[in-house]
Amino acid sequence: MADPAEHREEEEEAAAAAAGEDEDTGAQVAPIVKLEEVAVTTGEEDEEVLLDMKSKLYRFDKEGNQWKERGTGTVKLLKHKETGKVRLVMRQAKTLKICANHLVATTTKMQEHAGSDKSCVWHALDFADGELKEEMFAIRFGSVENCKKFREMVEEIAEQQGKNEEKENEEVSSTAGLVEKLSVTETKKEENAEKEETPAEEDKKGAKE
Amino acid sequence: MALPNQQTVDYPSFKLVIVGDGGTGKTTFVKRHLTGEFEKKYEPTIGVEVHPLDFFTNCGKIRFYCWDTAGQEKFGGLRDGYYIHGQCAIIMFDVTSRLTYKNVPTWHRDLCRVCENIPIVLCGNKVDVKNRQVKAKQVTFHRKKNLQYYEVSAKSNYNFEKPFLYLARKLAGDGNLHFVETPALAPPDVTIDLAAQQQHEAELAAAAAQPLPDDDDDLIE
Repeated sequence: MADPAEHREEEEEAAAAAAGEDEDTGAQVAPIVKLEEVAVTTGEEDEEVLLDMKSKLYRFDKEGNQWKERGTGTVKLLKHKETGKVRLVMRQAKTLKICANHLVATTTKMQEHAGSDKSCVWHALDFADGELKEEMFAIRFGSVENCKKFREMVEEIAEQQGKNEEKENEEVSSTAGLVEKLSVTETKKEENAEKEETPAEEDKKGAKE
Repeated sequence: MALPNQQTVDYPSFKLVIVGDGGTGKTTFVKRHLTGEFEKKYEPTIGVEVHPLDFFTNCGKIRFYCWDTAGQEKFGGLRDGYYIHGQCAIIMFDVTSRLTYKNVPTWHRDLCRVCENIPIVLCGNKVDVKNRQVKAKQVTFHRKKNLQYYEVSAKSNYNFEKPFLYLARKLAGDGNLHFVETPALAPPDVTIDLAAQQQHEAELAAAAAQPLPDDDDDLIE
């Protein structure tokens, strides 16, 4: 993304080449496995990239009451082309492993970090390891501007998600209204039961929030 | 090569033995790959610690069982027992300490007594430090013994993926093997209730007051 970083990589590679590092000085050894090339999927195929920036991610270690590095690489905000849901995915540079992977929800709130105006912090139910874990994250960018851009975009998305949910809730209540009209004798309690049976599972969750 | 109490996996796995003098950064290097953290505090490893480390490649997922061994003699334990059935190895030294480089031949000899003809990478760690004691040009052991050499820094992440990439390529006999994106699975939808959210925000405010571990922005931009 940013020129200075690319420059550095080039410099590093030049230095490595000078040191003869990319030269293979290792002994010939017989391979012990035969691996076939496989189709590679990033899992991001159905998403639109809203933001893509270099950053450093930290997670809060509650036990030790300290921030610990999680990875350095690229943070992305990805919007699903069908569902419209937006998630934050951060990958470690070079190994391309996942450092963070969670939805940007209405409840996603960014806070400032006391020590740095290039950083902000937030809470998430994160899925980086394939299981949901409560995490507190801090992220640092190369510049104040990039941090601001990231933060504003996340806040905007969170707000938008809130509006989407509200809209869905309205749809739910209008459906409920229809149900009420249809069954005049039903008590309020039963009406709620009807609601439970509406197919809009997602909407129901939103309504509970 | 999994330990008896470790889960076996349905994709290729390799036993990787990591040796070298105490304090050269073996454990820090492994931890860096496992969790991303950079541990400054030195706590000598006792005996051995085995950590599974997965990578996604264009040839599928692979796993290294990293046998992170004690560098200090007094905490050494079994030694030969740790090396047995090793399929690849990393020998680490610290470029800020001449003695650790001097001891490389001993580690290499001990390793080769048990593990014959395995791919080995020599790593000169801590190259981020200004006052190096062992310059790149002074590192010649790998040429004599046909090892691969990388200058690395667990602190700055410089070349931190190279040893694993090299070993994977050798073990698979494929010079074009490379790391690819770990598939980012769709996170499940969850709702957080108001009470929980308020608690999170309070915890977050306390966390936000704690300093971040370093102010080194080199890696970002």
